Order: sequence, then C-alpha cells, then structure tokens
Amino acid sequence: MTIQTLNPAQRTIRTVKPMPLARNRFERMAWIFMRFSGLILVFLSLSHFWLQHLIVGTHQLQFGQTVARWGAAGAPVTIENVFWRLYYVAIIALAMLHGLNGFRQVAYDYLNNRGVYRGVMIAATGVIAVVSLMGLVALLGGATIVK
Amino acid sequence: MLNGLVTTVREGARYKGESNQWMWIAHRISGLGVLLFLVTHISGMSFSYFNPKVHEALIEIYKTPLFSVGELFLAACLVFHAINGTRIALLELKPEWWSEQHKATRASLLITFVLGAPTLVIMAWKSLSFYLATGR
Repeated sequence: MTIQTLNPAQRTIRTVKPMPLARNRFERMAWIFMRFSGLILVFLSLSHFWLQHLIVGTHQLQFGQTVARWGAAGAPVTIENVFWRLYYVAIIALAMLHGLNGFRQVAYDYLNNRGVYRGVMIAATGVIAVVSLMGLVALLGGATIVK
Repeated sequence: MLNGLVTTVREGARYKGESNQWMWIAHRISGLGVLLFLVTHISGMSFSYFNPKVHEALIEIYKTPLFSVGELFLAACLVFHAINGTRIALLELKPEWWSEQHKATRASLLITFVLGAPTLVIMAWKSLSFYLATGR
C-alpha cells in the first residue's frame, strides 16, 4: 500500500493492490446475496416476529403450539407441518448466512490484526454453523411431546 | 486491534456524512443485535426437540421483565434493520434514485416509526398486563 498525492485538490489518496480474482468473485456473490436475502428476510422475519412475538406473544407461549406447528416427533407429518418447517428452514438458512456475512464485514472493518480477525471469524462461523444445525435438526425431527 | 472502532466513534460526530452516516452505524448495531438474539433464539427453540424440559424452563425465563425489555429492543432493531435494509437494497439496485437519498432516509425512518411504535406499545402493554395479572 502506498500513499500518492492527487495534484489538483492536493488530497492524499491510498492506492491498494487490486483484489485477487477469486476473492473479488466471492465478494461480488456476497454483495448480491446480502441484497436478495435481505429483501426476502424482510417478509419472513417480520411476519414471524409479528405473529409469534406480537399476536401470540411470548407470555402466552405454550409448548403445545410449537408441537402443533412443527409436528410431534414420530407422528405423521401434516401439510401444515411441512409449511412451517419450510418457512423456518428458509429463515434459519437465510438469516444465519446474512448475519454471518454482516458480522464478517463489521469484523473486517474493526479488527485490524489479521490473526485476531481470523480467530474471531473462525469462532463466529463455528457458533453459527452449530446453531443452524441444531435448528435444522430440531425442525426436521419435529418437536417432542412432553410426557 | 480496535483502532477502526475507536476511529469510528471519535470521528463519527465530525464526519460530514449527515444522516446517512448515522443510518450506516445504526444499521450495523441493529444487525449485530438481531444476530446475537437469533443465535440464542434458534438454539433455545431447538431444545423443544433435544430436551423439552430445558425448553420449558427457557420459556419460563423468557417471561421475566429483563427479557421483556430485551424483546422491545429486539423489536426496534428488527423493524429498523428491515426497513433501512430495504432502502439500502433498493437504492443500490436503482442508481437513478441516488439523487433522492435524503428523502429515502427520511421515508425509511418514518416507516420504521409507523410500524415500530405500535409494535412496541402493544408488546409493552401485553407484558405489563401479564406481570400485573400474575404478580411477578
């Protein structure tokens, strides 16, 4: 990285090496993904939030409702269960990838030490991968009825 | 290590990016807040499959004032992030709208308020009536 002087306005600008092609392609795909996953998530996340947190309400939350929507483990899967499972699989997949990439952008801006950045990103990717997997396994396995 | 963050905080007030500079910072903070909530929310809900007893205990923890206040912050962050994100995506996909950036910023703040204020009021009212009725 070198410092150059831009003559007319006498401003200093930074010139950086061009990004490698593979990295450039990844960043382009990530940029496109953020826009379209975000626009889809506006509808998915707000509909989920307003239904479960506002209309149903956390204080009225009952375990039976979760079982009714996801389907009890081992029980035959109804068309409603399929709808809710697809709905939540879409939210988990899109939101976790959207959140991971957003976190990556923030971490890249503020963690200037390369080693710290890599460590933080490995940890964040691991946490998000485990949490996403837990959610997907629980959804596809169905809620368990309490005995 | 955190030079970038220190610079952002120190120079944020001085930078002449006007309202959109603050929207950019608020978008990051609200996004990180929603991500932190989602990680706990998804893993917590998944216990309905792995261990229903843990799941039921978690639901009872969610019905406490600390989590109710946190849920109000979450609602504000989520609505703001969704509406402001829509503005960002639409503007970046439509360069011909860039001349109206400040109008778009005001519109997204207005929509956030119109959608967010009733959400917060209803949620706070539901929480309060729950705590008054149960005496917790």
